[in-house]
Amino acid sequence: MIPIQQVLTISAGLFCLGLYVVLARRNAVLVLMGLELMLNGVALNFITFAVYRDPERFLGQIFALFVIVVAAAEVGLALAIILRLYRLRRTANVDEANTMRW
Amino acid sequence: MDLGLVVPELLLTAFVFVIFTVDLLSSRKRVLGYLSAVLLVVLLVVTVLQTGTGDLSGGLYLVDTYTHFFRVFFPATTLFVVLFSIDYVAKRLRYPGEYYSLLLMATLGMVLMAGAGELITAYVSLELVNFCLYVLAAYAKFDTKSNEAGVKYIILSVAASALLLLGIGYLYGVTGSTTFREIAAALAQQGSSAGVLAGLVLIVAGLGFKVAAVPFHMWTPDVYEGAPTPVTAFISIASKAAGFVLLIRLFSLGLMPAIDSWGPLLQLLAAATMTVGNLLAIQQRNIRRLLAYSSIGQAGYLLMGAAFLSESTVNGILLHMTGYTVTGLAVFLCVTVYQNLTGAEDLEGYAGMAQRSPLLALGMTMALFSLAGLPLFAGFTTKFYLFTAVAGHGGLGLVALAVVNSLVSLYYYLRVVRQIYIAEPAATGRLEVPRILGTALVVLLVLVALAGVYPYPLAAIISVAVLPLGLPG
Repeated sequence: MIPIQQVLTISAGLFCLGLYVVLARRNAVLVLMGLELMLNGVALNFITFAVYRDPERFLGQIFALFVIVVAAAEVGLALAIILRLYRLRRTANVDEANTMRW
Repeated sequence: MDLGLVVPELLLTAFVFVIFTVDLLSSRKRVLGYLSAVLLVVLLVVTVLQTGTGDLSGGLYLVDTYTHFFRVFFPATTLFVVLFSIDYVAKRLRYPGEYYSLLLMATLGMVLMAGAGELITAYVSLELVNFCLYVLAAYAKFDTKSNEAGVKYIILSVAASALLLLGIGYLYGVTGSTTFREIAAALAQQGSSAGVLAGLVLIVAGLGFKVAAVPFHMWTPDVYEGAPTPVTAFISIASKAAGFVLLIRLFSLGLMPAIDSWGPLLQLLAAATMTVGNLLAIQQRNIRRLLAYSSIGQAGYLLMGAAFLSESTVNGILLHMTGYTVTGLAVFLCVTVYQNLTGAEDLEGYAGMAQRSPLLALGMTMALFSLAGLPLFAGFTTKFYLFTAVAGHGGLGLVALAVVNSLVSLYYYLRVVRQIYIAEPAATGRLEVPRILGTALVVLLVLVALAGVYPYPLAAIISVAVLPLGLPG
């Protein structure tokens, strides 16, 4: 079996990659993809711990399933709101959503 | 599984669908607001009559006095929010049916957050609240600000959820369980480690976002300014309280053995939160942004209590939270009614409010004084309880900082009061406050005054509510 450290590194890497996309990208849809990447990292993290540390129960797998479902719903909702903003402002750029300041 | 224990939760779920159905069948949409209010009153009566306690599904959901307190607290808060939503929704928003059902669904999520005894349940309830709030924040479909608020809220909130989940993941990896009690047992047995520490930091960050602690507060002012005013009230009062309710339950039942790791972290957050919140509030001109920063400051005081978690500080936290809720509802009621009648959003618009509507002016003033913590009002007594409890557990330095911050907050609250009473009004003419809202405001003000001079019944209820947490003195 692959050592747990390697799998955890992959999931942490996925998470950080997602975080980077969220912070660095300006297009709201790309930001959303970054968020998905973060949540996928989290799900992998749960499954890893479930397989290596808690093999009798399925808590980690169940948690991962919930994370996937919630993430899917979140994307649907976020896309709807971003679409609304796009219709009003003709841009999906988060930097230009700056009507309110300080 | 004894479903009799969760009758209020089931009833609330049913009511959400009742509102959906009535929305489909009825063409008179104004009825929906009153219907929601009536349903919430029914729910409150049923809940108060419930006394049973016990665990559901082996500790996934805990029905105890703590849950019971918040089963009354959250629907009662929503009741007032519904009341002052009615005119606002009729005037400015479309689709009232979905609006009220989302409010009630969010309330359900908050109640579940209070009862959750396990991390999956807690996470799903948290997301139930969040989802409703994303939609509600962006509810004014054709208003750019509202949409912007929605986009910012959902993106930042999902990122915070991801942090929280990563933290939960590490905690699960180290302790091998997601039930609060089993986590506590495992932590007590194996002590602190790098995994626990990483998990704790990430969980604090995730929940810190929910309660708008500095440095995770960036979303607050924009969302508060952009969202429809009653929704702002709901987010700043109920959703923030729900964050604290979950935080206290998780930290006292699950993470208490590791208090040496997260206590200092929360102290740091508390100090930053109250200072930044109050200092940034000074320069605000939009009333809702001002209230946003002021509510960040209030969250700082509550976090200070959480940093020294014990029975007396949790007593103080719940008391201050209740006082803040009643006061905050009064402020937002006045702001919503005034905005409905005059369209005023900036401080300049509040000039001469006292001449145009003495009742609203009195309500605003009393509530702002209570927020600042002047004697005779709820804010003073509850702050006093909280600060004494924290000082008694060795947090004297933080309490001193909190007192200084209260003085700073008095300055910007008085600026609003000055506008209301001293500045010359831009327009004349009496404003007619709708009778039902006038009554609601008077009820809230009586509660503010009552909690200020005679808090003992409330304190007695709360001291019973914190017992199931099993905290030391």
